[in-house]
Amino acid sequence: MTLVDGDAAEQLMSPLQQGAARRSLRTARDGGAICLLSVPDIRCGGCVSKIERALNARDDVASARVNLSLKRVQITPSGSRADPALFIAALDRLGFAASAADDATATPDPTGNGLLRATAVAGFGAMNIMLLSVAVWSGALGTTRDAFHLLSAMIAVPVVLYAGQPFFSSAWSALRVRRVNMDVPITLAVLLATVLSLAELLQGGEQLFFDAAVTLLFFLLGGRYLDQMMRERASSAINGLARLAPSGAMVRRPDGALAYVELEEVKPGDRLVVSAGEYVPVDAQVSEGSTDLDRSLITGEPLPVLASPGDMIEAGTLNLTGSVEAVALRPAAESFLAQMIRMQSEAERNRGTYERIANRAARLYAPVVHLMALLTFLSWLWTTDGDWQQALFVAISVLIITCPCALGLAVPVAHVVAAGRLMRMGVLMKDGAGIERLANIDAAVFDKTGTLTTGRPRLEPVIADVADLSAARGLAIRSSHPAAKAIAADLVAEPAAVVEQVQEVPGYGIEGRIDGRRARLGRGDWVAEIAGEPASSPTDPAFAFAGGAPIGFEVTETLRDGVHDTFDAFSRGGLDLVILSGDSRERVMHLSHDLVLTDICAGMKPADKVSYLENMRHEGRRPLMVGDGLNDAGALAAAHVSMAPSSASDAGRTAADFVFLRKGLDAVAATHRVACRTAAVVRQNFTLAICYNCIAIPLAVAGLVTPLIAALAMSASSILVIGNSLRLSASPEKLRHGTRRRRLKKAAT
Amino acid sequence: MSILSLLIPVTLVMGLVGLASFFWSLRNGQYEDLEGDAERILYDEDDRPLPSRTYKSPKEPTP
Amino acid sequence: MMSSLTATERSRAFMITMTVLLGGLVMAAVGHGDPIGMQGWVVILFTAVVGVVLLKSFDAPDPVEDRSASYYDDPTRVGIIIALIWAVIGMGVGLWVASMLAWPNLRFDAAWSSFGRVRPVHTSGVIFGFGGNALIATSFHIMQRTSRARMPNQVLPWFVLIGFNLFCVIAASGYLMGITQSKEYAEPEWYADLWLVVVWVAYFILYMRTLARRNEPHIYVANWYYLAFILVVAVLHIVNNLAIPASLTGAKSYSAFAGVQDAMTQWWYGHNAVAFFLTSGFLGMLYYFLPKRAGRPIYSYRLSILSFWGIVFFYIWAGSHHLHYTALPHWVQTLGMTFSVMLLVPSWASAGNALMTLNGAWHKVRDDATLRFMMVAAVFYGLSTFEGSFMAIRPVNGLSHYTDWTVGHVHAGAMGWVALISFGSIYALTPVLWRREAMYSWKAVELHFWLALSGTVIYVFAMWNSGIIQGLMWRTYGETGTLKYSFLESMIAMHPYYVARALGGLLFLAGACVGLWNVLMTVRHMPRHAPERDYPTSSEATEPAVPAAE
Repeated sequence: MTLVDGDAAEQLMSPLQQGAARRSLRTARDGGAICLLSVPDIRCGGCVSKIERALNARDDVASARVNLSLKRVQITPSGSRADPALFIAALDRLGFAASAADDATATPDPTGNGLLRATAVAGFGAMNIMLLSVAVWSGALGTTRDAFHLLSAMIAVPVVLYAGQPFFSSAWSALRVRRVNMDVPITLAVLLATVLSLAELLQGGEQLFFDAAVTLLFFLLGGRYLDQMMRERASSAINGLARLAPSGAMVRRPDGALAYVELEEVKPGDRLVVSAGEYVPVDAQVSEGSTDLDRSLITGEPLPVLASPGDMIEAGTLNLTGSVEAVALRPAAESFLAQMIRMQSEAERNRGTYERIANRAARLYAPVVHLMALLTFLSWLWTTDGDWQQALFVAISVLIITCPCALGLAVPVAHVVAAGRLMRMGVLMKDGAGIERLANIDAAVFDKTGTLTTGRPRLEPVIADVADLSAARGLAIRSSHPAAKAIAADLVAEPAAVVEQVQEVPGYGIEGRIDGRRARLGRGDWVAEIAGEPASSPTDPAFAFAGGAPIGFEVTETLRDGVHDTFDAFSRGGLDLVILSGDSRERVMHLSHDLVLTDICAGMKPADKVSYLENMRHEGRRPLMVGDGLNDAGALAAAHVSMAPSSASDAGRTAADFVFLRKGLDAVAATHRVACRTAAVVRQNFTLAICYNCIAIPLAVAGLVTPLIAALAMSASSILVIGNSLRLSASPEKLRHGTRRRRLKKAAT
Repeated sequence: MSILSLLIPVTLVMGLVGLASFFWSLRNGQYEDLEGDAERILYDEDDRPLPSRTYKSPKEPTP
Repeated sequence: MMSSLTATERSRAFMITMTVLLGGLVMAAVGHGDPIGMQGWVVILFTAVVGVVLLKSFDAPDPVEDRSASYYDDPTRVGIIIALIWAVIGMGVGLWVASMLAWPNLRFDAAWSSFGRVRPVHTSGVIFGFGGNALIATSFHIMQRTSRARMPNQVLPWFVLIGFNLFCVIAASGYLMGITQSKEYAEPEWYADLWLVVVWVAYFILYMRTLARRNEPHIYVANWYYLAFILVVAVLHIVNNLAIPASLTGAKSYSAFAGVQDAMTQWWYGHNAVAFFLTSGFLGMLYYFLPKRAGRPIYSYRLSILSFWGIVFFYIWAGSHHLHYTALPHWVQTLGMTFSVMLLVPSWASAGNALMTLNGAWHKVRDDATLRFMMVAAVFYGLSTFEGSFMAIRPVNGLSHYTDWTVGHVHAGAMGWVALISFGSIYALTPVLWRREAMYSWKAVELHFWLALSGTVIYVFAMWNSGIIQGLMWRTYGETGTLKYSFLESMIAMHPYYVARALGGLLFLAGACVGLWNVLMTVRHMPRHAPERDYPTSSEATEPAVPAAE
């Protein structure tokens, strides 16, 4: 991002960007317009106050408000005609890159608020009923007790009916398809406890379970709300990452004028103009001009390819150097990008439904408990000679005490704590199922470009004349070609200040005049054309003054930090390690020569990657896929579990179960370690719950459980489970690359 | 303890007022940006009231 | 100061003052021969002073300032000074009664100077006079700042502040005349209680109207704490003071409840007063001034909201622990005990949240006595809430009740938590309010901190020791099964601790005097200071404020 003076910023924005900015406009509740912008660089209250002051001072802004958690700015424009591009330009002047906000984050999730409301109601009910219950337990007798019981009922019934809905509806929808999930025993316990207590109340009974029912709801709703919040936070963080896919296209009208057209409205035959730095909106054929295209997200090839008239360009490729005109071949819905997304959803379908641990536990647990309650009922009926009320009371106390509470919390609380922990490590977890699956992988499959490598090539040291190097760097900083960028970044020489007649020749390189001498930086044979001593064609890329000696540069891909650590950790853990790459075999081999690998597949097309993973899964393997490109989206979805770096394509980030914001690949191994520990904690939680049941069930069957014991036991077991889960965040993960964390922070800023 | 027949209802009513105000605050979007709200109080160095503004919220998408 | 009111406002304020003065006249007339008549004269005197202050600038020209461009801080300024004056009065009287216990000759044998009359002057003076005024003044500040809006009205805040102080003056003067309804922290009689209801309703309306005018959509959490303080104290005050006057021309009234029912109501009120007067409001202060002074946001804003709801719901039923081993039904005692123990969770959440906020800014705590006031206040808050939960357990209470341990516990909370957070807030607030660069003397703030801390520690340790010795002596039996010690013997054993307590109180009072002096000197002698702007002015707006990121 560059900073420019004043009004130039508006002019600097291309029509495409201005068009895209218009997507930030939303309809407000009162029918007016508001503008929602995503600004990922907002970090603190200082940024908030700076942005708000600057925007609110504008005449075309009625109000502007920053949401620091979502990193979003909401602007109410004054007047009917507002141009969001001006707001984006204003933010750019302040040093903040902004783009139109995603629809997904535009409104708060109503489910989360609903759960919070239910939790609040259950908490209110639990508090007040607990007050009345403590009074009864401590010895309130006679009419006082009856009055307190009546009051408890008056509070409990509406609270259960309102706050229990999330469980009731989930249990009902499971039962309708003849399945059992964790909500079935919960619903049964809550409803039976309430109904039994009501019946007891009518008979003036002493033992009421209203408190147990409502406390149970409160604890479980709390767990569920945390679970929901965790997912919301992860998804808003992922949505906050800059979008790569274009949202519209510049189309040249028959009269020669340029117009911004929404992506969905691009028709085959439209003449598109794609400038340097923009993504290709739909599959098209170049009709005019030539350029270098970065196809790494599509094919995995790290180095750009040349596109000239007649060449096909795919949607999602990045135009690096020149401006081209192209004729759209297919509408957006049929583009390469759309095909990839279809392939991804197909792979997701084929992945089959993964049954969460909690539901597997419920499948076992529910029949056992319900059968036990039935047996208790029958045996009490038999021993008490048909006192069905007594028998029913004992049976229901069995149902209540067997504590779906601890079981219901065993998984979500552990996952919430793990997610918080991962988030601190810079890894976003989309939902709990992912971490369960990650814990039991037996193979890890990696994409190469952008995943194992940083996507930014590195320049090997060169020895040459300082003047030449400085001239080379002077040319390099004027190009956006990745190799040129590497030279610009890594070459130790003062760049030549004055470069005239700069001309970028797509596919070849960049040419200019320095100190009156022609100079070229680019393909070896192209540079050799002007070089003085064409003894041998220098390597790619090369630099030479007209008539001078050419200098060859060696540009290599760089591995991400932590690749070796991750591979070591995985191979020590007995995992198979595979690289799937769309790039050529020799480049893959070159890069991975010192890595211990089970298999290397090069030249893979997206479909090959998907079928490779599907084969693995047919063999009963559970592979982890780590990839970033659009070409990996299908594979990410097809794998048992998947991770993507934050630099991945939109589709890749959508498909992956985890997105890591850290630069180093050691995030993968660290996440795996956290997942294994989480799985262990979940197992411990279940063991705790089962141990507890082993003590509680005999008591309940013997008819010894009073409401006081039930409430105490339930709270104690829940707190035990929560406490055990908190251990996950207590001992901080030792990051092998301690400094990297700081670097990550810097990188994030 | 006949006095509790006064104190408990009074407390319950206060609790309900609390619950209602919590519902209001949730509907009003008071908890949408807790990080930002914690920071905002730190930045009022000019120490004067803001001009009044209208804040709108986006229409919830119709399912 | 009064010249910042418009002529209409001045005449409205004058009308109100005269109405109250008329009420005082009626009291003086019909209550002739009864203490209420004397109280009428107190009202007349008080309102006459207010009236004179009003009249002095009655004909001043209307203010020309643009009201929408600034906050209304005059009542806050006056409230801060009044709070400090009450602190000196209340603590001074406290020192007197503490010394009276160590050296009974200080009783002076007058009716008005008996321990039973002077002690409530101390408790009301520090709780309502110092604490109440500090709460009202800081709430005026915080509600305007966090709402980023000016108060809706200029007369209402004065009415609340002056009206509340009228209540305090009536109460304190009444005690000395022997007027009391014998309810702890609710001693004032029916007419004063009615007046407080009027003032409190006005306070609530003022707060709500300011919030309604807010220009910042979010209501900062401190406001929730203050609102709970205002609302719940109103309900508690009304329920506990339900009484029937013996005669409308006399001060005496009879409580609407009898015996243990009355005791239950009293401690339902009494402990909730601790919760909502001495905790909720001061937590509001903490949640605003601590982050402001430390320059960093509260550690977990979410936790501060959660502990708000926790405190609101748990505190309500803790009160009956004041009545362990009494005629109160056993189960009601157990109820109070249970909730008192559970209360520890939200209390420690708040204390921990405050301390975690400072984690990483310890160097500021080291250098800045103002911030240290707040830090130590949070520590004492955590300590005394733990002690409170512990003492509410019935067997522990069997040892501690009616002994000086209770007094020590209350003062750990009142001096360590309430007073220290108030002083810290006042030191943070004074330069902002009067637009001064800093306090007049930072050394004086430092001195005050150490005086206050050492005074508190000496006081609390003396009372812990004396309380436990007292409790043990009272329950020691000889071989024959009779009590081993007479009451007088336990009194003699207390004497050194009572002397130590008086010393602790003296240090604390000295600190408060230093504080009052420092604030007054800051107002008078410190140069004015233009507020720094942390945002770009129009000329800077186009310059890059943040270096271009990669």
